Amino acid sequence: MNSKELKALVTDWRVATLLILLVLSVIVIYPHIDEQGHLASNLQYGLDLQQGSWLQLEFRAEVVGFTTDQPLEAFVTNLSKKLDTEVIVVESTNPSHLEIRKYYTQAELEPIFTSEKGKLTSYQQGVSKPTADLVKRILETKINTLGTKDAKVNTLTGLNNVARFIRVELAGVDMNQAQEIVGKQGKFEIRIQTTGNQTEHVLSGDTITSVQVPSQEPAGSDNWGVGFTLSENGAAAFRAAAIKYGATADPANHNLIMLLDNTSVYSAPLSDDLAGKLQSDTIRQLFASTGTGKSGTQQATNLEIHLRAGALPVDVTIAGSGGVSAPLGEHYKIMMLLAGIFALIAVGFVIYYRYREPSIVLPMVLINASEVIILLGFISLIRFQMDLPTIAGLIAVLGTGIDQLVIITDEILHEGKVPSPNLYLKRLSRALSIIVVAAATVVIAMAPLALMDLSTLKGFAIITILGVLVGVIVTRPAYGRIIMQILSK
Amino acid sequence: MGLINYNIEKYSPQQLVIIPLAILAVALILLTINIATTGMPVTPGIDFSGGTAVTIITTDTREQITSYFADYPLIDVSDMNNGKFLKFGLMDDAKYKSLTSSINQRYPDARIDQIGETFGKTLQSQAVLALIFSFIGMSVVIFLSFRTFVPAAAVVLSAFADMVMTAAVMNIIGIPLSLGTLAALLMLIGYSVDSDILLTNRVLKRQGKLNEKLAGAFHTGIIMTSTTLAAALAMFVVSWFGAVQIIYEISAVLLIGLLFDIMNTWLTNVGILKWYVQKGGGK
Repeated sequence: MNSKELKALVTDWRVATLLILLVLSVIVIYPHIDEQGHLASNLQYGLDLQQGSWLQLEFRAEVVGFTTDQPLEAFVTNLSKKLDTEVIVVESTNPSHLEIRKYYTQAELEPIFTSEKGKLTSYQQGVSKPTADLVKRILETKINTLGTKDAKVNTLTGLNNVARFIRVELAGVDMNQAQEIVGKQGKFEIRIQTTGNQTEHVLSGDTITSVQVPSQEPAGSDNWGVGFTLSENGAAAFRAAAIKYGATADPANHNLIMLLDNTSVYSAPLSDDLAGKLQSDTIRQLFASTGTGKSGTQQATNLEIHLRAGALPVDVTIAGSGGVSAPLGEHYKIMMLLAGIFALIAVGFVIYYRYREPSIVLPMVLINASEVIILLGFISLIRFQMDLPTIAGLIAVLGTGIDQLVIITDEILHEGKVPSPNLYLKRLSRALSIIVVAAATVVIAMAPLALMDLSTLKGFAIITILGVLVGVIVTRPAYGRIIMQILSK
Repeated sequence: MGLINYNIEKYSPQQLVIIPLAILAVALILLTINIATTGMPVTPGIDFSGGTAVTIITTDTREQITSYFADYPLIDVSDMNNGKFLKFGLMDDAKYKSLTSSINQRYPDARIDQIGETFGKTLQSQAVLALIFSFIGMSVVIFLSFRTFVPAAAVVLSAFADMVMTAAVMNIIGIPLSLGTLAALLMLIGYSVDSDILLTNRVLKRQGKLNEKLAGAFHTGIIMTSTTLAAALAMFVVSWFGAVQIIYEISAVLLIGLLFDIMNTWLTNVGILKWYVQKGGGK
């Protein structure tokens, strides 16, 4: 191949795309030697390849379908009293469902619904998606404040939008530590401004008996905030402090300050209305407003988490847990690297055995390897955490990706003659049509896994699908162009 | 390729499919028996049934390990090279905590995976759904792309036979259905039809004598399966050597499935196609 031909080859858009992606991938993967002299890269590893632990939590709550001829609000309030827990109308589903934030069996719920003139129509253990997202945020906030560097919280939502499990992954932490972190609550405290910058303790978090979801006050306005309820003692202490330090008489100079783990998370004066009421009575039901619009909503959401002090709105039990030690993770990494290298060599041998022609075998193996590099680039880019099944999928791509190169080569070399450019294109497109069907079957076969929350397999499925797409869109057409150049010699 | 001489000219379609169909029948019977006894076609592993799996790299003998964990519901110890794989039955939280600290005392580098029963059960029903959806999806793609019933059905039947035979062998040699082997089975659904698609394309869309087209398709197809086999074999050997159980199981399932795929493509699928073409279908 002379330099002119080489230039024509490299500037062909199919080959150019491959080369550009390859270079970008290597940049994204960024293999380098780190300060300790170890080989490092931007690749992220799952918990089975590095030290860490995971916890699978199961929600002790249920989402039920119902019918009733009673007014909805009264029905829900009565149920909530009877069941001694929060009952929330889930509006994102149609028809509405109820989320009961305490564990009852279906048999236990049925008579209670009947006694409230309603009927239970479906029953599913778990929580609604918004609640699952709230739990996820609470756990993330909690883990972040504890300074754990690398944590991942995922809810596993079923096809019906009810989440039953949530998975917490903590890198670099052993299992006992992980359980402690997830179980640990923050220290919540309300203080009152006395004079100047001085503050005095009023309440601690244990006197808050319940926290509502963010809402508007009055309803329908754009004024956001979070309602919460104090215990009898808490309410009495709150009133006593407000009067003692003069907050009821002069609210503006006596802010109420909420602290979580000694950091201020909220500060505002008593409203005039509340100040007046507190003069004469204890108030258990309070509302902390956070402002209007998007920032008001956002602050209300955060405040809700802080008011709960890291406690979850729903009880959870540990449904599974696990962990890998650092040396074992390291061992797995080395083994998988070896498996990948051996697989590439083995595939190369099979191809060589068949074609006996280095000018065909070499491009095939190189294309094959470049496919894996581009995939690894994608994986680094989306910061996907590779685990053992994902790597097995990547290695399988080595074996199956080259299949399609074999199809192309054999179609083109049909009857041993090197075809004219016209015939070549016809054969290439015939080969590509076989490949597209084969690729479609793999994508479809993996789709259920990618869509379902089948624990760790979701990532594996997504990577396999990506691998097929990279092959069909980028590397196969490029190979078709390269092999034409080689064969036409 | 000179290694295997693929010459099926002298065999009738019936002769070609008889052996695979007999094996398929036996495999189906075995799976039915398994469903009757365990409720699942393939025996579920800890991922689906719940329990605790512990991996340790140690030179301790099986007896030493068994006696060390005598207080816990140890179901099984299997080994692979230096790796020992311990399976424990379900236990309550207190017992589990004490187990993890016992493990950490003696084997600080262990890998522990504990799956609760309810979570396992949820995964199990989803796993079965995933397999079914995946298979149906693959069938739909095949039927849409061929648009003729017999050739498409032949491909789907071959893929089905791959699955069923692989699952039966998994039961016989004791590979449980785990998240990893489920992934392998799904890979098989996707990849095993590659050579069938090539075969059907060559036979139906090309001019020429049937036997020549079959031989040509085999020439290409067997290499395709061989490359995947080579990659799976490399994983199998390395994972055995390095005691990486999940990869060992995934690659074992792939190897078994691909070997059956060779049979099902070049006997079952070819047999049906040959019958179809001789009856006047295709061209």
